[in-house]
Amino acid sequence: MFLAYKEIMHNKARYLLVVVTFVLISYLVLFLTGLATGLARNNRTAIDALPGNYVLMSKYANKNLLSSVITKDQYDKVSSSDTALLGQMTVVAENPQTDKKLNSNIFGIRLTGALKPPVTAGRMPTKNSEVLADDSVTYYGLHRGDRITLNGSSQKYRIVGYTRDHRFATVPVFYTTLSTFRQIRFGSAQVPNVSAVVSKKKLTDLPKNTQQLTKAGLIENIPGYTAQTSTFGLMIGAMIGITLLIIGIFMYILTIQKVAMYGVMRAQGIRTSAIVTALFWQILILALVGVGIGNGLMIATSFVLPKTMPFYGDPMMMLMITGALVVMSLVGGLFSLRRILHIDPLEAIGGE
Amino acid sequence: MGLVDLKQVTKVYGSGHTAVTALHPTDFSLQAGEFATVIGPSGSGKTTLLTIIGSLQQPSSGQVLINGQDTTNFSEHQRTDLRFNTFGFILQGSNLIPFLTVADQLALVDRFNHHKQHKMSRDSLFTMLGITDLTNQYPSALSGGERQRVAIARALYNDPPIILADEPTASLDTSRALQVTELLATIAHKMDRGVVMITHDTRLLGSVDTVYEMRDGVLTKQDAAGVKKIRAAAI
Repeated sequence: MFLAYKEIMHNKARYLLVVVTFVLISYLVLFLTGLATGLARNNRTAIDALPGNYVLMSKYANKNLLSSVITKDQYDKVSSSDTALLGQMTVVAENPQTDKKLNSNIFGIRLTGALKPPVTAGRMPTKNSEVLADDSVTYYGLHRGDRITLNGSSQKYRIVGYTRDHRFATVPVFYTTLSTFRQIRFGSAQVPNVSAVVSKKKLTDLPKNTQQLTKAGLIENIPGYTAQTSTFGLMIGAMIGITLLIIGIFMYILTIQKVAMYGVMRAQGIRTSAIVTALFWQILILALVGVGIGNGLMIATSFVLPKTMPFYGDPMMMLMITGALVVMSLVGGLFSLRRILHIDPLEAIGGE
Repeated sequence: MGLVDLKQVTKVYGSGHTAVTALHPTDFSLQAGEFATVIGPSGSGKTTLLTIIGSLQQPSSGQVLINGQDTTNFSEHQRTDLRFNTFGFILQGSNLIPFLTVADQLALVDRFNHHKQHKMSRDSLFTMLGITDLTNQYPSALSGGERQRVAIARALYNDPPIILADEPTASLDTSRALQVTELLATIAHKMDRGVVMITHDTRLLGSVDTVYEMRDGVLTKQDAAGVKKIRAAAI
């Protein structure tokens, strides 16, 4: 560490370049990761909150909750104390007084049943004309107490409370009664259909024309979800790989510039292991400083990002990315290792 | 038994008909308190001799004894430790580490020295070499002569019994070169070290105990008359 530190402090400009590279890469990767996490969460938090791991949907729906309809005959066959009915529909919510419109979902549930979300402000709805909203609706100008229409309905629905982190397919969810769901989806509260049955236990003996999915399977089949997460995954992975190359090549160039000096050190009886240790200490110091600054910038940025931006800084995720960048830069040091192992102390003498 | 004993040591580079003999069978010995110098034109094999003495490379044949111990078949690791503990190298270019101050050049030795009791006092070394004021300077700020004196301090710091100097005066003017040579003589005579200096500068032979001449890989020890002849040839 002595050699590593002294050299960095003596050649500040040169090593500042390496640190700046680390800062920029880590900032970019952390930003991408935050966006990827945020977007993924916006797709799935309402599904993650479902109190059972198994979901029964219609077979024709191609695993897409948006298209699934389960009839009374079908859900009666599997109903038990472990199951709950869910009606889902994509709607536009509008406050006619302010003309604010918002793409959203309604989840029709039994208001006192297992699917009841936690209330973070206000109260649970008690009748068909009341809804509980994900609190992100406030970013778009809808608030508790507003009377909204759903898909241009003549009926108005009052927002009586908020829940948090309950979004589906990137938009907020309004929780309401199954009757309201049926009214909007099928035109009549008397049509007993729902969208899916959520079950704590794996269902056996499935009704005709139905299909059972796990929660994870349902999430993967949210339209666009898998394409989006794998695109982000590829970009983040590629950036981490590029880190290895950039830092590896950078340190390699710095190493070949120092071959003569290393030759002198070898001639003076300093072991190769000491030189290798100095190299990796150097990379570690530069990486920790650079990635540390990158993290700091990212945290600072996250405070000024607009709330509507789907950014979510998951500390666990950020830590993993930071760790991966540091490990990759150390792996990049292996390029130089080869050169250092081949240093001949005779190089110091110049030979005749 | 001397500090260094070379017995019928040869060095051949390459093989087959591209083989070049850099060193013909050579005997050489060095005692404590002796200041030996090897002179000769460039390409004569004197650096090869120095690198074999200094365990920087192994001979093609023959035996190398350092302090009576046969080091001919030492592993790279053993030779590294031998170099660290037994030899002080003074090289012709800058053998200082550019990003360390004069004080840190020696502090680096401390970090790898696990038997600190043999170490010389840094301050007395610096006083002896007249570089006390330079402790916080980087090598780039030093003159050639100052740099060479720091290199000598670095070589002596670990208290090695043998000092090997390869053209230590190459970049110095005559008066500075004489000062460095005097210093090496003092180290040999007053501190009882074995010193081998390689040079092609025959003006510097005044304080030397033993003079060898190297020509085309053949080492010849010179008597007083020989030394006189070499010095005369130079003038």
